[in-house]
Amino acid sequence: MARHISQPPMNPATRAVERHDFWPGLVVAVVALVLLFSGARHLTGIETTDGNAAWETQLVKAYSSGGLKFPEAAPPPPPPRGNDPAADAAALDRWQRETAHATLPDWKVRIDTSANTPCPT
Amino acid sequence: MDCPVPQCVQRDSTTLGRKLSRARPWVQTGFLTVWLAPLGQWLHSIPGCVFHCYSCPLSSFACPIGVMANYAALVPVVFEIPYLLIGVLLLVAALGGSIVCGWACPFGFLQDLLARIPTPKFALPAWTGYTRYAVLGGLVLLLPLLLGLKGIPYEEQIVSICRLCPAGALEAGLPFSVEGFMAGKGWAMSWYKSVILAVFFGAALFVHRPWCRLFCPLGGLLALANRFSIFHLRFNAKECVECNLCRSRCSMGVKVDQKVNVSGCIRCLECAKCGAIEPCFAAPKKP
Repeated sequence: MARHISQPPMNPATRAVERHDFWPGLVVAVVALVLLFSGARHLTGIETTDGNAAWETQLVKAYSSGGLKFPEAAPPPPPPRGNDPAADAAALDRWQRETAHATLPDWKVRIDTSANTPCPT
Repeated sequence: MDCPVPQCVQRDSTTLGRKLSRARPWVQTGFLTVWLAPLGQWLHSIPGCVFHCYSCPLSSFACPIGVMANYAALVPVVFEIPYLLIGVLLLVAALGGSIVCGWACPFGFLQDLLARIPTPKFALPAWTGYTRYAVLGGLVLLLPLLLGLKGIPYEEQIVSICRLCPAGALEAGLPFSVEGFMAGKGWAMSWYKSVILAVFFGAALFVHRPWCRLFCPLGGLLALANRFSIFHLRFNAKECVECNLCRSRCSMGVKVDQKVNVSGCIRCLECAKCGAIEPCFAAPKKP
């Protein structure tokens, strides 16, 4: 049983009825339906790993399945120094050749539609 | 009972109010069959309209708040307008305001069930409802955006709504942790998330729907439409005997005797028992 709260002084006759107008709700509902339809047909500016433009539905699914893939931003670190100076020099030379022409990929984010991580966070 | 109005003691609940009150737990149970993925994870590409973690092994739709935070974190990388998310939330809000909170949300239903345990219940001041908007603006939109600007993807953000959410802890963290524990892999859920879950359960025993009232960003968002939604509550002055049954029945602390279509209301329709508060649909005025 709910705890009873005493009625504060008020006059029911002067209280607003709070009747809602029909049209604002309808207009918002129609706008929502248009957005829903647009969203279902919306191709995002993000590519999938297959190279196709991703649908908005694929983007939403990627959020829940860990499907967003970001490029590796940092190049690999230089090789650690060892006891053999010749081997170190060779490793350093190889690392410089590998990273000299390394460029960042031209994409910022992609969607892996096959991702299925149960709990991304 | 210290009410000077004699009708408040003798007055019976209305037939409609009694029927609605009896039907609500069954409707909430029925909606569980919608949200708990009866056919497997088959609609994760569509945001839902209730607070239910998409990482839960039993979830039909994507959590709208998780999707919103992900969109915010992605803004520095690529700006995408979440048409589906806005469309789903606007449609639900325009039709019924926050009625899904009271009748469909599984996390709200859980809190309703916990509130049935006979423990002393404490009232929260009405202003605490505004903290939901701080959570929405700060934790769901601003923080993921700022950390996204620093180049941290949402999944790697240490502080985020998903990492602090008790629904996520209960529906995803707990099942996976128990599964891992049974397989001898230890307890996967972080200690602070376990504490959040324990605090949530403790709070739900002593405050009615503490998450909904204090923190739920989705409820806060949907409740903004309570002022214009097609389904709404209407005050009938002819039926009012000033018994204040409407306000006494409200477990959300809404001052129903003053105004009923407010952001604190979850539209459980318990106040409709008094007869002066009538659930109704807006209709075009006849010329």
